[in-house]
This record gives sequence, C-alpha cells and structure tokens, in this order.
Amino acid sequence: MREKNYTHSIQIDRDKCIGCSHCMRVCTTQAIRIIEGCAVIQPERCVDCGECYRVCPQHAIYAMDDGLASLAADHYRVALVPSVFLGQFPSDYSATEVLEAVKNCGFDEVREVEQAVDFMKEAYRIRAGKQLPRPQISSYCPAVVRLIQVLYPSLTSHIMLLKAPHDISALYLRLYREREEFDSRKLSLYYITPCAAKTVAARAPVGESASLIDGTVNMKEIYNKTLATLLARKEKGGRKHVADMSPDSVCWSLSGTEKHYFPGRSLAIDGMENVIDFLEKLESGHVSDIDFLEMRACDQGCAGGILCPGNRFLTVERLEQRQKRLQQLKDQQEGRVENRLLEYSEMLHPLSGVEPVHPRDGLLLDEDMEKALVKLQRIRRLMSYFPGFDCGACGAPSCRSLAEDIVQGKASISHCVFVQRVMEKNYKLSPDQAFVVIEKIWGRGRLNKYNDANENES
Amino acid sequence: MKFCYEIKGGDFSAGGSASSQVKKTLKQFNIAPQVLRRIAVALYEAEMNVVAHAWRGSMCVDINIDHLNVVIEDEGPGIEDIERAMEEGFSTATEEVRQMGFGAGMGLPNIRKNSDEMKLTSTPGIGTRLALTIRF
Ligand code: SF4
Ligand code: SF4
Repeated sequence: MREKNYTHSIQIDRDKCIGCSHCMRVCTTQAIRIIEGCAVIQPERCVDCGECYRVCPQHAIYAMDDGLASLAADHYRVALVPSVFLGQFPSDYSATEVLEAVKNCGFDEVREVEQAVDFMKEAYRIRAGKQLPRPQISSYCPAVVRLIQVLYPSLTSHIMLLKAPHDISALYLRLYREREEFDSRKLSLYYITPCAAKTVAARAPVGESASLIDGTVNMKEIYNKTLATLLARKEKGGRKHVADMSPDSVCWSLSGTEKHYFPGRSLAIDGMENVIDFLEKLESGHVSDIDFLEMRACDQGCAGGILCPGNRFLTVERLEQRQKRLQQLKDQQEGRVENRLLEYSEMLHPLSGVEPVHPRDGLLLDEDMEKALVKLQRIRRLMSYFPGFDCGACGAPSCRSLAEDIVQGKASISHCVFVQRVMEKNYKLSPDQAFVVIEKIWGRGRLNKYNDANENES
Repeated sequence: MKFCYEIKGGDFSAGGSASSQVKKTLKQFNIAPQVLRRIAVALYEAEMNVVAHAWRGSMCVDINIDHLNVVIEDEGPGIEDIERAMEEGFSTATEEVRQMGFGAGMGLPNIRKNSDEMKLTSTPGIGTRLALTIRF
C-alpha cells in the first residue's frame, strides 16, 4: 500500500504545470502561489474542493488516490460504490449490471454505499430531537467541513458529528462479516470516489483517529474499466427484484434530498461560492431559525464531483430514473424495503458519531497575539504601497495575500512589479536584480523569448 | 491597532460589509472561536442598527492584545429613551424595515449579550454612540 500519511489528495504535476495561474485565481481559500514557474499549494489552507482541478488548462492538477494497484492480493476486497457512479451510465444499463462489471475490476464483492442512507435518516431524526447548536450543518461533504475549519472556525461547533454513509456502510460490512466469523484483518474496503475531498476524508478523517475505509479508487479509473466490460458483454445483465433501500436514497449525494430528513426548517446549498456566501451570513447571525443546512461543494452535489466523468445534469436525471424504478419495486412489495443494513441499526447507532471538529489554523498570522499584531501592522503598511488591483504578477492571488506572505517570510516586497519599478527608478534595485525576482516567480527560461523578440524586432 | 469603516444609512444591500471586514481580520489572530462568533454577531447587529436608523455612521475597532474596543457612531435621529431601547422586543424601526427582517428589537439586547462592556449614549436629533469591549 502507498504512503498513508498525506493529508491532501489534490496534487500538482510539476512537469505539466506551465505556471499560468488559472488555479491560483479560483482557489477559494487563497492557498495557491506561483513559485519558480509552477503552482504550489499551501497545505494548511487547501480544502481539496478541486476548484483548481476544474480550471487547469494543462491537466496538471490531479487527485491522488490509492488506486486499484494498492488492492492487497490475498485480501477479501469489497468495493463501496456510490450511487452517483451508477448515474454515469445510460439508464439502459441496470444497477446490477454495472455493479457486476465493477466487480470485474478486481473485487470480490460490490456494495452500494447508499444502502446506509436509511440508517442516516434515523440518525438525523435522533439528532434533531437533541439540544444541539442550530443550524446543524451536514458533515456529508468533506470539502465543506474543511472549508468551515479553515475559513469559518466559529462554525465548527455546528457540524453534525455523524459519520458519512460510506463509513456507515463500511461499519456494517465489518460487523456483518465478524458475525460470520470472518477474519476482519483480511477484509479490505475500497471506496470509489467522486472527488478528492472524499479521498482525504478516508485518509485523514476529521473527528476520527482512523478511517474505516482502507483505500480509495478514482472514479474515472473504474469508469473506464467498467464501461469496457459493459461494452464487451454480449448478453444483458440482470436487474434487482427487490427494493433493498428507500428509493430516494440514491439521490442523497445530490443537492436537496438530505435536507428533507432533518425535521424543522432546512436549506440545501450547492456550489462552493454559494456555500461561502451563506456561511459568511450565518457566522454574523444574519440567518436565524434554520435547523439544518445541507451543503455540497460541487454544483448539483456529487454529480458535479471532479472525478465524475459524465455530465452532471444527465447524472441527476439518471438517478431520478433509478429512484422511480426502485419506487416501483417498493410498491410491488407493498411499500416495504428490504434493507439488511437496518437489522444492524442498534449496533450502528452508538458507533455512528465522530469526535468534535476543531478549526484549522490556515489563516493565522501568529499564535502569539503580540506578534500577530505587529505582523498585521506591517501588512497594513505594505498594503499602502501595493496597487490594490490584485494583478497576480507577484505570484500571489491578491495584494493582501502578498503582504501576508511577506510578513510570514515567504516573499519579498520586490515581488510586486509596481514596487519594483519604483525601486529601479530610485536605484534601490538593479534591472538585473529585478530580472532575477521575476524569474523566481515565473520560472527560469520564461523570459527568454523576450530576449529573442528584442533581437528580431531591432 | 485601529481600523475605521464608513457605514451608509439605508443601504441594506451593502449592510454588514464593515463588520465582515473586521471579522476577516480577527480570524488571523489566535482568538477562541466562541469569542469570534460573539464579536461577529455584535458588530453585525451594531452595523445594521446604523443602516436601519441613521443617515450615516462609522465603525472604529481597536485591536489590543487581550481585548477589542469598538466604537460605532452615527448621525441620525438618536434614541429618545435609552432604557426602553435596551428592552428586548422594543423597536422604533419602521414597518418597512421590519418587513425586511431587521429591527425586531433584538439589536441592542443582543449586542449587550455578546459583549463584555457596552456604553450607549445618544442625543436625539443628532446621533448615537455605542462603545463596546469584548475580551478575548
Ligand atoms: S492552472 Fe495552475 S496547475 Fe494548471 S498549468 Fe496553470 S498554474 Fe499550473
Ligand atoms: S459535493 Fe460531493 S463530490 Fe463534491 S466535494 Fe463534496 S463530497 Fe465531493
């Protein structure tokens, strides 16, 4: 198995990155800088939301997973497949067929994560009856949880301390196997992930010492293999004959389903910008009388996850179709669902919580108040020199972030091209020194073409 | 260290930007999250009071090692009866303002609840001055 100790899934491939700064501009926590012609992520700020991944024209940003290769050969390997994966395929492929094809990728068993949702619904009802800070914020989307830890520290106490459905599924599988006297050390659980944030949640879970998931596999990789199997198949596969979970469970990861299960007033918010906008209001007390907030970093929820190969709107529609089919099965069963996981409810409830979530110090100037005040004073002074229109030529996303980098010893005032001009004019900086500064930010060789152009022009 | 921000009366859509700026700055310090929350709420309420009742005003915050001093001053109608204004549920906000969800009379009591010290002075017809201290 690979190194387990990384806390971020989002990585930058230095060989592919051309230092174009698109990623730096969209980063919601201002975690990216351009150094020596390459994007660099500040780990304490990154929340693995993947906004940078979406905009990189070079495909230099990737989400590190454990990969299929990490599967322990002598283990009993179970794939936990989220419904949103099934939504990547045209509706004429049945869920059973797709899951069967996933199994072919090297698993001994395949499970649909959303089976755990019926349990989640119970857990929500229980929590709604308790005296917990309102609104309770769903812990479903790990990018949102991290965002709160970094940007909204005072709201961490609102995060619902409940495991995610894939963790509940994992817990159930372990309990169920144990009952069958299966050696649990030989059981490996893999989650097929739609995003980088879920990988991080499995590697370095918030509020838990260790994850119940042994590894994650990028959804794109499984998609390609699964589709190849499906296309090569001559006969149609089977279909489910029983509804083994509530129909709307399949839409849990999208935006707008979860909120119906927390009694009281609730809101569903999707998309990073919308989430930020709302948290900002919530923090100042603009928003009152709300009991529950369902938040998804991606537009349309997990259908918009960065590792989902399909179109998010088609995915949503397909999951709605699946919901209808499950509803028909449920109707045939006189409204019952035969969810085996619910038989373990009593055992699962006491294990379903997580420890309190604490803020992260990504924004902190200094632990020491006195030193932080001095730094803030310097930032203010620096800001009065900078032009204030966030051109990004210094390799930082804003004048403010350059000032912060300077007081933290990570950059120098000459990084600002405007200050540079003034320094050159006043003979405080030689043109050669200025050249070196620009090279440090935008990379060696980046300015070569201007030398050539000069010669050709003259 | 002192920062000052202007507040425009009647501009509800921009209301909250001064307190939001202060909040952003304070997040860079090692302040307990609960205290941060109290500051955020108190400043927002105070700012919205100016937006809802006055013509114009300012918010000045002074960050110190262990506490924050805030002075919110406005030019406006002022408060006739300060004691009554401090009662929960009392509000002189116009019907229009209330319909927008402001001026439910929770402002001042809420500010007091969230700050360690509060001093309110007002001259009817001239304006109001609110001074707060919140300890970290
Ligand atoms: S978007 Fe970022 S990672 Fe991609 S090439 Fe540009 S600078 Fe490099
Ligand atoms: S919305 Fe879903 S796919 Fe997107 S970051 Fe959150 S958990 Fe991942």
